[in-house]
Formats: sequence, C-alpha cells, structure tokens
Amino acid sequence: MSPRLFAIVASGEARRLMSYPVDFWLTSVVGFVVDFILAWFLWAAIFAASGQATLGGFDRQGMVMYYVLAILVGKLVRGADHETQLAEEVYQGSLTRYLVFPTSYFAFKYAQRVGQAAPGLLQALLFGSASLLLLDVSSLGQPSLFSVLAALVAIALGNLLAFTLAYLLESFAFWADNVWSLEVLMRFVTFFLGGQMVPLELFPAWARGVIAWLPFRFFFHFPAMTFAGRVGPGEWLGSTLLCLGWLAVLGAAGHLAWRRGFLRYTGVGI
Amino acid sequence: MIQAEKLAKTFYVHEKEPGLKGSLVALVRRKKIAREAVRGVSFEVGEGEIVGLVGANGAGKTTVVKMLAGIIHPSAGRARVLGFDPWKRDDRMRRQIALIMGQKAQLWWDLPAADSFLLLKEIYQVEERRYRENLAYLSEVLGVASQLRVQLRRLSLGERMKMELIAALLHSPRVVFLDEPTIGLDLTAQRAIREFLLQYRREHRPAMILTSHYMEDIERLCERLLILRDGELVYDGALAGIRSFYGAKKVLTARLDPGLPEREIRTLASAANLGSLGELLGADGEGVRLAVPRERVAEAAGHLLEALPVEDLLIEEEDIGTLIEAIMRGRGQQP
Repeated sequence: MSPRLFAIVASGEARRLMSYPVDFWLTSVVGFVVDFILAWFLWAAIFAASGQATLGGFDRQGMVMYYVLAILVGKLVRGADHETQLAEEVYQGSLTRYLVFPTSYFAFKYAQRVGQAAPGLLQALLFGSASLLLLDVSSLGQPSLFSVLAALVAIALGNLLAFTLAYLLESFAFWADNVWSLEVLMRFVTFFLGGQMVPLELFPAWARGVIAWLPFRFFFHFPAMTFAGRVGPGEWLGSTLLCLGWLAVLGAAGHLAWRRGFLRYTGVGI
Repeated sequence: MIQAEKLAKTFYVHEKEPGLKGSLVALVRRKKIAREAVRGVSFEVGEGEIVGLVGANGAGKTTVVKMLAGIIHPSAGRARVLGFDPWKRDDRMRRQIALIMGQKAQLWWDLPAADSFLLLKEIYQVEERRYRENLAYLSEVLGVASQLRVQLRRLSLGERMKMELIAALLHSPRVVFLDEPTIGLDLTAQRAIREFLLQYRREHRPAMILTSHYMEDIERLCERLLILRDGELVYDGALAGIRSFYGAKKVLTARLDPGLPEREIRTLASAANLGSLGELLGADGEGVRLAVPRERVAEAAGHLLEALPVEDLLIEEEDIGTLIEAIMRGRGQQP
C-alpha cells in the first residue's frame, strides 16, 4: 500500500468518526473525564486508607499523573477499541468487500486503525497539555526531549503491536465464528498486565520479572513511563527490541492463522 | 476472459436439533454435515458477453461468483479470470474486476458516496482525468449526480444501489460480477439499472456474469444463460435456444363464463381430469391454464372445449421466464 493511500484511508476513517459530532465529543471528552475522576477518587481513598505517603514509589500526585498518561497513551495505542472488526467482518461476510480491493487487507485495516486514534489524539492534545499545566509532572518524573521522542516511538510501536495481537486473536473467528468473549478476556488481561489498572510497580518483584517479558506493558506502562523520563536510553532500547521481537512473533502467528483461516471463509450464504 | 473447469465447493455446516435439549447437546457435540454447494461446473465467458447465472435459492449461484472473484477457495476444479487464478488475488487481476453484491453494501455507510469514490480512486489507482470523466458519466447516466455528497445511509435503496454500481465501475473493469444487482428495487430503478448495464456493455465490452431472481433482468440483459440446479449446471446455452432444448410446452388458456365463481371453476377443472394432459398452471377468475407438450395441443384443446363451458381459447408459447423457473425447479434434464 502506498503512503498516500495509507494516509487517505486513515483520514477517511477519522472523517467517518467525526461524521457523528455528538459521539465524537462524548468519546473524546466524557471518556477521559470519567476515567480521570474515577482514578482521582479511587487513589485518594487508597492513599487515605493506607496512611502512607507513597505507594510503589508514587506519591498521590505522581499516581494521578501516571493515570493521566496511561489513559492518554492507551487511547493512542488502542485506537477506538475497534478490535472486533476482523471477527465481525468474518462473521457477517463483510470481509468480502476488502478481498476484491487490489491492496493489502492488513495494511488497509491498520490505516483505518490509525485513523480511529483521532479522538485519542485530540484527548492527548487537550487533556495532556492541561494536565501538564495543572498537575506537577515532576512528581512522576522529569520529561526531556529524548523522553518525549522515545515515547512517541513507543506509542507507534505499541499501536502496531496492539493491532497485531488483536488480529491474531480475531482470526479465530474463522473457526469459532464468534470470539467476543475471547476479546473481553484479552482486554482485561491487557489492562491488568499492561499497567492500566494499577502501575506495574505495585506488583510483587517476581510478577514484575515475568510481566517485563510479556507484550502487554507496551500498551500503557512503557510509553507512559518513557514520557515521564523514568526509562533510561539503555532500558528503552532493550524494551524496544523486545517489542520488535513480539511484533515479529505475533505477526508471523497472525499471518499463519490468517492463511489457514481464510480457507474456511464462506462470505456467508451459498 | 472467465474460465471455470469442474469447479466444486463443499461447505461444512453444523446442525442442531431444535429446542433446549438440542442446544444443550450442541454445547458438547455438534453434528457436522457436508453440503455440496457447487458440483463440477464448467463454462467460459468471453469479452462483451453478459451471461445470466440462474437457479433457485441455494443452487450455488453466489458460490460460483465468489469463487471466480477470489473470495472463497474451491474444493476442487480450477478457474482462470483474465489469465489469473482468482483465489491467489493477484493485484493485477483485482484492478480489472468488479463485484457487486445486491444484498451487501460495499460502500462505507457513514460517508457520502463522493468520499468513498475518492478512496476507491486511490485504491484502484485511477488517473485523475479518467476518474473525473467516469464519475461524471456514471452519475449522470444513473441520475444520482445531486446525491453524491449525501451520507450513504440517508439515501434510498435504489440510490444506494446506483452508488454501488458507480463504485464498482469507476475503474472501468474488464470483468464484472453482478450478484442480484436489482434485488429489492422498485420497477423504475430496476429498469434504469438494466438500461445502464446495457449501455455500459456497449461502450466497454466487459465480460459480465449476472445472477438474479428477476426473470426480466435475465431476459433483457442476457443472450446466454447458465442454469444451476442443486449445484450442477443443467443448461449452458443461448436464451433463445432454451425452448427447443427443453421442448418447451404450449400454454392453453380457456376463458370461461365471467359470471362463474372461482370455486366452481376449480371444481370444474378438477373434474375434467386435466392433469392427464399436462401441467395445470391455474384455475381461477382468469380462466383455466394448462401447459401441454406441443404434440398434444390439439388433443388438449378438444378436451378443454368438451369438458368445460369455454367462451374463448388462447394457445401461446410458454413464457420464457416460466420455463426457466420450471427448469430450476426440476423440469427436464439435459439430454
């Protein structure tokens, strides 16, 4: 797929989301505000109950800042939570539309996914800058030019990894038709082990050791902590290489699943 | 341009007994059955031909189209479309074909058609000037030029179908698969689409395969017909030749006294034992209609005049649509 076509598909998808202004603003603003308020009150209560000034190396201000970053990064990495597209297209037979296009289906869907991150980008610009002004970012870390650029790379790779994982998972729709429950399970696992529910620093040391080798932290924790300046260049490089490794493994598995699964595709109806 | 050779497709589907017990059993063990949708179909379609592919529901029409468009893999046999194996989905082939499925929207529901067309222009790498000319021509001929900027979901069914046609033909494909393009449309829209397809054929000479349940589509558009029955090709030939091929019958319509109630007409027809002469097509206020082999026309006419209070007797060729429907249902086998 040419870069021009990629940009047009992504922009078309963003325009599609923006063709419903009410939903667009609800997704962009209300979604973030609700997440933020929940995190604020939850952690206020936890800190008050624990009677401690810091938890896992975060003070209350730092914890809220971490949540702001994790939420915003998550929106950019995961797009508009449209993981179900392939599974739904297999189930309903609408995959047919893309199969006749003289272009790669996966490149097309990935371009759409990038376009779906439009509300997340707006949130990051609006609330990210507001949070940086209102909250004390130094309570979490010291962002630098390197950390911001490295975080952008981490977000881009995280987005690609989330796409690759989602499409491997959804290719099971060729065998099982409906994989919704599998997606819900994977979303929970991703949020829990990726550091969206609680920072990974709160896990016991042995669990952190295991999680460090899994792909989930690249969706929330790694880009957020990189942005905050808490990931040094050496650690960033090592983690990025690991992320690329996961991309290769999941991509190869997805490719295989797709090739085998496609033989079972019926396009619905005879 | 299109070649199919012993093309076959078997689908595996699960069956479940009705009711709660059946659902519980299916949770543990599902009964899998093989369904042969297409059985060894062979044919060719050349440049400029519109070939009608007809058959009853489930006869395998859409499956054949999907295999030729590269959507699904065949279980056996081979096919070539523009010299390519369709299921390898080579971009060089995909740039030259179009698939229109009347029952499935191909365009983006939430965008105006104009936005979708721009995207398709990039996907098919249509040169700017050719794109403008094609779009202007297609939208003008189909009468939807003023609707291009309206969100697709806000258009009528007929307007949406016309947009689908434009989308499919923007890149001037050399092979077009039309799967029920007029389904659900009103008569005016059906006519407009038929006229448009004929005009498109005259100007571009693509190879077209058309499936439709509307006999008027077939009669107006196709000179050649493929009839599928239970996945098998039972007729491949000229539309005009189907009468002689299947030994079409003559239809005798006996008009009775207009004052006779329908119930009495049915009783009279039943008492006249018309089934021994041919196929009773109807007995109602319009009269008694009987399809009989050509060699028994005189005998049947005499019997009708003798057994019923006939006021007028009409003898006609069997309507081609009725004949095709009868073949699809099972009348006659290819000798």
